[in-house]
Amino acid sequence: MAPVEQHHFPRPRTLIHPGISSPVRINSLHSPSARHVRLFVAAGRSLYDGIVQPLFENGIENASLTILGGYFDILSYCVAPPDPSGKAVIAYTKPIDAGAGWLVFGNATLGRSMKGEPIVHCHAAMRTAAGVVKGGHLLTESCIVGESGVSALVTSLDSFVLQQSFDPETNIPLLQPRNRTERADEHA
Amino acid sequence: MNTHNTVEIGSMGRVAYARIAPNEDLVLGVEKLCLAEGFRNAFVRGALGSLVDACLGTRSGAFLQIRGPAVEIVSIAGEVRAQPDGSLRASLTGVVADTEGSVYGGPFIAGANPVCMTFEVTLEEWLPAEKPQAA
Repeated sequence: MAPVEQHHFPRPRTLIHPGISSPVRINSLHSPSARHVRLFVAAGRSLYDGIVQPLFENGIENASLTILGGYFDILSYCVAPPDPSGKAVIAYTKPIDAGAGWLVFGNATLGRSMKGEPIVHCHAAMRTAAGVVKGGHLLTESCIVGESGVSALVTSLDSFVLQQSFDPETNIPLLQPRNRTERADEHA
Repeated sequence: MNTHNTVEIGSMGRVAYARIAPNEDLVLGVEKLCLAEGFRNAFVRGALGSLVDACLGTRSGAFLQIRGPAVEIVSIAGEVRAQPDGSLRASLTGVVADTEGSVYGGPFIAGANPVCMTFEVTLEEWLPAEKPQAA
């Protein structure tokens, strides 16, 4: 739907989610300082592998990343329209193939999945093979970095972990900050 | 209106990560995060998530509303500054994508950008060393 320019303040909508709304609306933790790393992902690697492996080898398993521009041989993403099943407010679409394109920029969070594996949650803007600028949720395992590679600024979060856990309010798994001593299923 | 260029010397302090829950406002949520963590000034180091609908400001003072749900937050740049009246003010600008992946950009209007599923944000505290100098 095309955006609407209006001259009155638009009343925000409060959506009803399938689960009970938790009284805690902002879940935050902090570290005394951040460690910054410049990451370069070489051509031919998936964005997922290019983020996870080198950072793990440098002791970084929880981080926030700003991904700079670069060509990709394959860009794959999805968007989040309403979920017709009603299980959640939205549901991700099937993968959309943007082809060989240019990643304009993106943001990513590196944490740990409910299976205990590294997870990369990444949103980005891209110019598709068709020359159209699009944005959405990048499927990092399927995105293959193109010639000349891509760089990222990594802000390492060292005092706590980012753990994916089931969120009863939205009925989907989400990343949450956790103290290192907490179990993955606490606060779920 | 500030008519002088200024340079503020300072350093980075703590770094905070938050998950902000559905129906909370994006801009006010970032300000409340600073209150919760005791930050008076901060820069956004990373942010992604989704909005019910997005509302971006225009030069004419009108509001550009992008209907969801969900409107994906692609990227945000921004800062939080302590104000002389004792309040905190977040200024956030960014790019969003609608349910068809079409992208829009601009400043996020406080109070009009409710979170849809989740909003993940990393803030780095900014510690000014001295009062700004005219450049």
